[in-house]
Amino acid sequence: MESLFLLIPIAAIFVVIAVVIFIWAVKGDQFDDLNREGERILFEDDETDNKS
Amino acid sequence: MSRVCFHCGDPIPAGLDIASELQNEHREFCCFGCQAIAEHICGADLSFYYQRRDNAKGTRLTEDNSSVFDLLLDKDLYNQYVHQGTDGHTIQLSLSGITCSACAWLIEKHLSKQAGILSVHVNLSSAIATITWDPDSISIQQIAKELLYIGYSSQPYLPGEQDALQSKEKKRAIIRLGIAGVGMMQVMMSAIAMYAGDMQGMDDIYRQLLRGISFIFATPVVLYAGLPFYRGALRDLKNRHFTMDLPVSLGILLAYASSVMALYTETGHVYFDSVTMFIFFLLMGRFLETVARSYHLGGQQQASLAAIRVLRDDQLQTIPLQQLIVGDTAIIEPGQTFPVDGILLSDFTSVDESSLTGEYSPVSKKQGANIHAQTVNIDQQAHLQVTEVGQNTKAAAISRITERALSEKPKVAIIADKVAHYFVIAVLITASLTYGFWSWMGEDEAYWIMVSVLVVTCPCALSLATPVALTTVTNALKRAGFLITRGHVIEALATTQHIVFDKTGTLTYGSFSITQVELYDFNYSKEQVLGMISGLEQHSKHPIAKTFQQFAPAKIMNIENLASQGVSGEYQGERFYFGNLALLESIGLPLISSINSSKAQLDLYLATKKQIFAKVTLCDALRPEAQSVIASLREQGIRVSLLTGDTRESAQSILDPEWFDDFETRCLPDQKWNWIKAQSGKNTLMIGDGLNDVPALAGATTSLAMGASSDLAKLHADAILLSEHLSTIPTALKAAKNCHKIIKQNLIWAAGYNATLLPLAIAGMIPPWVAAIGMALSSLIVVVNATRLNKL
Repeated sequence: MESLFLLIPIAAIFVVIAVVIFIWAVKGDQFDDLNREGERILFEDDETDNKS
Repeated sequence: MSRVCFHCGDPIPAGLDIASELQNEHREFCCFGCQAIAEHICGADLSFYYQRRDNAKGTRLTEDNSSVFDLLLDKDLYNQYVHQGTDGHTIQLSLSGITCSACAWLIEKHLSKQAGILSVHVNLSSAIATITWDPDSISIQQIAKELLYIGYSSQPYLPGEQDALQSKEKKRAIIRLGIAGVGMMQVMMSAIAMYAGDMQGMDDIYRQLLRGISFIFATPVVLYAGLPFYRGALRDLKNRHFTMDLPVSLGILLAYASSVMALYTETGHVYFDSVTMFIFFLLMGRFLETVARSYHLGGQQQASLAAIRVLRDDQLQTIPLQQLIVGDTAIIEPGQTFPVDGILLSDFTSVDESSLTGEYSPVSKKQGANIHAQTVNIDQQAHLQVTEVGQNTKAAAISRITERALSEKPKVAIIADKVAHYFVIAVLITASLTYGFWSWMGEDEAYWIMVSVLVVTCPCALSLATPVALTTVTNALKRAGFLITRGHVIEALATTQHIVFDKTGTLTYGSFSITQVELYDFNYSKEQVLGMISGLEQHSKHPIAKTFQQFAPAKIMNIENLASQGVSGEYQGERFYFGNLALLESIGLPLISSINSSKAQLDLYLATKKQIFAKVTLCDALRPEAQSVIASLREQGIRVSLLTGDTRESAQSILDPEWFDDFETRCLPDQKWNWIKAQSGKNTLMIGDGLNDVPALAGATTSLAMGASSDLAKLHADAILLSEHLSTIPTALKAAKNCHKIIKQNLIWAAGYNATLLPLAIAGMIPPWVAAIGMALSSLIVVVNATRLNKL
């Protein structure tokens, strides 16, 4: 059970990293268009030629 | 089976044959414009657009405004609108006609295939494209042209301070929601371990570790994510008007403070789990509400660059609209909207003033007549001497009346706030009485008992009761085509006592339709007559012409426009005239006395110089569902009134005054507002569409604009009827009443729950984990109850 004293703080560090990435993504305008991004994958699927 | 256009989905006039072989399929179109767009899209190998779009309706290009991009040839303007970085030039374009993800995809794909385009990003929510290109290989004018080829017109756009502020606010809300969500999950995990520990025993040292961890994760949630609630509470205290923000903040902060105390003294119970969950749910509700309301209303058009042609020093110039000054001579093409007030310099034209007056029949204007901004030029190129620009125009004056009306708008008492008001007072009195009683009894723990009372009454379910129900019903109504853009609408609709309708464009379609065709000569059939008229009118911008577009045009040569009279053209070698009585008079035909010429309908004649062939009667048609909707509203005991700018005869010709409780005609915009204001004390719903309705819309308790309304009307309305179907109104009223009922049930349940637990908490009889689970359960019940509103 003593391992909890190590594991829980490690888990906490991961949470902090996740939150930092989330904030970075929001600030990078990735959440600007909530109507569109969910459907984007449906369109990229069809793509055969990559734009150069 | 009626045929529809492959691109835009409009019906194809009978007998018209425009078709192409696209991707080995035979496709038919309603016009050459749509055909060109579809061929371009398929030719560029982007036909996937047609499989993926939400509804089978593409945009029909209405106006070629590419001249606005010629303005960017000017160095100063170019520098203003185009960001010139080392890796290419960047511009933002506001797009019209973009409706779904497929449009965004099409634009991005098509543009990025062009040589010299470095990146394209289309934001669907705001309808703004951000484009970066290499100025050496492509110009902005070419880019705009490429957009036109696939059917989208665009305008250069410069985001203002307002946009920056809004986007910052939205980003903060998302970050708050994210932090609250992640924090809640972490704290919950520790909490479940602690509940288990409470039941089967746990070493104090592990309990303290879990408490510490929950403290660490709960702190940013409470101190950062919860900030909007504390701000609201402070505002409440200043205004001495309590809303739900106050008990919410009080609950959060007290529970948090006592938990920190408990952690520090290693006694009592921590409530970090309840606090974080509470904050997350409330933020979620608020966020969903704003998302449901964020709808592209076209307000950005004003911030976009627009071009206007002027005659300066005998030279034709294209200048930005903002640089237009009083005294300029502006040139407005048929079909364009006058951007400013002025005096007509050309001989004549007719003007559609429906946006100002609600009167849909075009008004003839002679030289020297006053022309108002926001009206639409119809049949002739107009030269206009500018007399007023910007804030001084008549249209801007209406906006100012609107602002005044908004500030005097009656407030709806929001039920949750009313409850909150008493709730706060009751909780504070109970808590202090408890504290007083236990201190008087000489109890050392008096303070802790008071804290437990406050925590138990934590108004979690109570404050969730309203937002959850409102969010659900807002989304359900949005699916039905009733878009709510302000917060108080549902509460107000539930208690609406009085509904006021505008006539033109609201109860009627606001456009001409053919009510009668009378043949005077049987050489031509009805179909032939309508075909000839369609041919005569095919190049006209007059609203009448649109009515005949549904018929296949006959071949007409040498078409001539006869201002404010009609049109003429040659059919099989003979000259035909189509127009009003004045036209018949001018070609020397004996006048027929028109018997039933009321003002609301328009009699038009097809004739040669020798004889009259047919009389076509046009009228603004009533929406078919109007009468039954009005009747069903009145059955529910709602007072129904009509306010129109039209004359009494005109209104009576299609509406029966018997249908209404009040029948007010000849109302000017501010008279409409004053009439609404005079109904004070009643909960009024105003339904309208035009610029002339805007002050009344703003002044009514709630307002609803039709989906095809002017931008300003939509901007100031509390809700928008996207379905354009009047029967959605009774549906919305019913949904609002249901919502009201659910909110009441939820409030009764939540208050009952608190009232039962309160005495037990005062007596110290509830184990903390039971309190915590009970709190979660009571919230869950409230949420589940609200989901019943999903069905309308």
